Amino acid sequence: MLNRTRLLTAIVFALLLWAVVYPNLVVIGESVRGDGTVTVRHYAEFFGTPSELRALWSSAWISVATVLLSALIGVPLAFLFARYEFPGRRALGALAAMPVLLPPLVGVIAILFLYGESGIATRLVQVALGLNSPPWRLRGPGAILAVHAYSMYVYFYLFTLAGLARLDLAVLEAAASLGAGRLRTLTRVTLPLLTPALAGASLLTFMTSMASFSAPYVLGGGFRVMTTQIFNSKLQGETAMAMVETVMLAAVSLLVLWPLARWEGSRQYVAPGKGMAPLRVPLRSRWASVGVPSLAGLGVLLLVLPHLTLLLVSFVPDGTWTTQTLPPRYSLENYVELFAEARTFRPIVNSLLMASAATFIAVAIALAVGHLVVRRRVAGRRLLEGTLALPWALPGTVLAIALATTFSVDRPWTGRVVLVGTAWILVMAYVLRVLPLTGRAALAGFRQLDPSLEEAAASLGAGPWRTLRRITLPGLTPAIVAGASLAFVTGLGEFVASIVLYTHRTRPIAIEILSQLRDFDLGAAAAYGVLLMVLVAAAFMLGQRWIQAGKQAAD
Amino acid sequence: MSEQAFLELDRLTRIYAGTPAVHDLSLQVGEHEIVTLLGPSGCGKTTTLRIVAGFEQPDSGRVVLGGRDVTRVAPQKRGFGMVFQHYALFPHLSVGANVAFGLETAGLAKAEIGANVARALELVRLPGTEGRSVASLSGGQQQRVALARALAPEPQVLLLDEPLSNLDAALRERTRRELRALVKGIGITTIYVTHDQEEAFDLSDRIAVMRDGRLEQVGPAEELYHQPATEFVATFLGRAGQVEGVAASVRGDLVDCRLAEGVSWPALVPPSAQIEPGTPVRVLTRPEALTFAAHDAEGVLSGTVDETRFAGSVYVYTVTVEGGQLEIHARSAQARIGRRVGVRPLDPPRGVHAFVLSAAERV
Repeated sequence: MLNRTRLLTAIVFALLLWAVVYPNLVVIGESVRGDGTVTVRHYAEFFGTPSELRALWSSAWISVATVLLSALIGVPLAFLFARYEFPGRRALGALAAMPVLLPPLVGVIAILFLYGESGIATRLVQVALGLNSPPWRLRGPGAILAVHAYSMYVYFYLFTLAGLARLDLAVLEAAASLGAGRLRTLTRVTLPLLTPALAGASLLTFMTSMASFSAPYVLGGGFRVMTTQIFNSKLQGETAMAMVETVMLAAVSLLVLWPLARWEGSRQYVAPGKGMAPLRVPLRSRWASVGVPSLAGLGVLLLVLPHLTLLLVSFVPDGTWTTQTLPPRYSLENYVELFAEARTFRPIVNSLLMASAATFIAVAIALAVGHLVVRRRVAGRRLLEGTLALPWALPGTVLAIALATTFSVDRPWTGRVVLVGTAWILVMAYVLRVLPLTGRAALAGFRQLDPSLEEAAASLGAGPWRTLRRITLPGLTPAIVAGASLAFVTGLGEFVASIVLYTHRTRPIAIEILSQLRDFDLGAAAAYGVLLMVLVAAAFMLGQRWIQAGKQAAD
Repeated sequence: MSEQAFLELDRLTRIYAGTPAVHDLSLQVGEHEIVTLLGPSGCGKTTTLRIVAGFEQPDSGRVVLGGRDVTRVAPQKRGFGMVFQHYALFPHLSVGANVAFGLETAGLAKAEIGANVARALELVRLPGTEGRSVASLSGGQQQRVALARALAPEPQVLLLDEPLSNLDAALRERTRRELRALVKGIGITTIYVTHDQEEAFDLSDRIAVMRDGRLEQVGPAEELYHQPATEFVATFLGRAGQVEGVAASVRGDLVDCRLAEGVSWPALVPPSAQIEPGTPVRVLTRPEALTFAAHDAEGVLSGTVDETRFAGSVYVYTVTVEGGQLEIHARSAQARIGRRVGVRPLDPPRGVHAFVLSAAERV
């Protein structure tokens, strides 16, 4: 038993070190490689080039601004839906999370169709005001920030909702019984108790924004952030500079992540009692009972408009929408083409296969790590857990560059083989990107699973495999399904790493969307986008169903 | 209660989804008095307490403090201290900051706050724990911090919502005596909520027994135990055996109840009871008020011993008689299971109470 545990530990460790850690070390190595010696020349060049420093600075300030803007939208919205009762609250509250259905690139093009220079909303305003040119241009940092806030406020919204649901009503009442009014209770009790949730959302938003590629790539114009800078250097063959930029982006991300994560960890409060979530207050005054639902409805409409636009544009035949405000013709042509032609169907198959494979592998690794860390409590378990979470701190561009660099040469004795050009390197990138998701889910699942259940099975004569199959895995199902559906959805819409690693044969949906966009076939791009949206929604819904069914079976 | 009511609950009604959780409840609490709301879960005692605290609004009725109607006053302006069932300590604040919270909202100066916090912690025997984190305290210590926090702003009224229910049995017993000494020492008017009869007996000046949102009876513990106004009070407080019979004759608050052929025991009835000769009754008996006798002696109910149990200070016997089952405490071992025995009251009518059977039960 012990030996088997050791063997499994060794295998998992080796695998993670090779796939997660090693490629990053290769990147660091490459960044200091001179002509056969170690050199800091490339770093000197980086710090001596104003445009490089500007890109680094841009990444940082855009991310901080994204956090603030997202919090400003998400937190009040969460308070509104959690604390007040008004007509339509449930439906509007659910719709408010809709941006999660849009993979990054799809969100960007949806917004482009709506607010871009020739977007529907832009043209409507232009016509209404009788202007000769578009009233605004969706370009540069402002546009990036707007897209970021749109897609990332959801983190704050969902985290704050969860935090508010965990609050114990009695604690708020205790504050009131000690003479604290609403404002004082909010600032002294509610917000401090929400800090773990807010810190978590800030962290997630900051990292996602640092790693964001789609928005700056499509909307940046001349405005560069680190991710687009890396991509450009790679494209122009400035390999050494791309390595330095990759290291710098990773370093800055880790620099912010480390203290914030520790601070967040030190502020996890355990609720003292079973607690009862605070009740919703019905809106009483006449102004509020009409005004709040209307405002909330208007806000939510704004959030859903990109989805609707995408759907609308997906029915527009190629080349029919030129200067009109609204597309003049609609047909199912794009969808028919999507499935009828091998060339256009290929990306769909690729994405489905690669996302499935990545999800399967990531779940398997996560289960092995969860077992070793939580159940067997092996030596080095913290390192194991840390390695599993590491890709989360590394932007997709960094991972992709690291993989592309490491697996482009055939030197098997150093652990490097040629994977570039195959589908496997994409699968590997997807696995790395989703490993933190499945890992987190598996660890949480194992921790919630009472070990005495497994001991009870053993005492009833069940061997390890039978216990695993009959007790452990069923108990882990909700957590695993939740993690797996997130992983699958991420893989399905993956763009950032794919754009560095794809070939024509292995191109996924997101890449195809981009090339359709380049050909100005907006309808086809939108149709792919809608398909992704539907697949994402279906994956989430099936996951939920599965979890619910499991719960009912358990009851 | 001779003094004038300090805190008055005046005809409070609170309706949840069509059913009244509190129904037309009136209760007067004197200054410095400890009154316990006692009843099974779901009887409306916590709802009543929350109405007094201001967390719930009654559908009708008033809460009056010192002659002032405070029904519509927000909880934070009421100046009532409250200890919650799970303490509701602020997990992100230290012990000292928790206790200081109410003093800060009252706008006290820093130095004064420090002194008051120290005094409050001293009071609950946790001096010098200001810097500790709440999570590092044991359940009993957390309970005391919650008490110190509620008392520190010197509230006019203290409200306690089952504050001892999360402590283990031994600690609970010790804590409730300390709690009474502490509250009495300060002299603060207190409403205490519990479902635990012993706790109510130990702590209270008076007990208000609640059932289905209504007050059944209010009074000192002895009064509730010896003169229960309703059958519910008689069975909820202390143990009681029961046997059915018919009222034979009525003399004031005494009723002779015929329990079997030739057997009739005098029993106490509540003053409000509508009882006359021939009324079917249920007679409840306290175990310590009964004794064994020869089963064929006069005025003795005969039955069979069903169960015996040794409870330390007494032996407990369960005897099944015609029309009911009785419980008897005896100092020494007196009978074995299955034996035919006689039972009679020791000192009638003490510990023998008759209640009119409801129309539904008479069938």
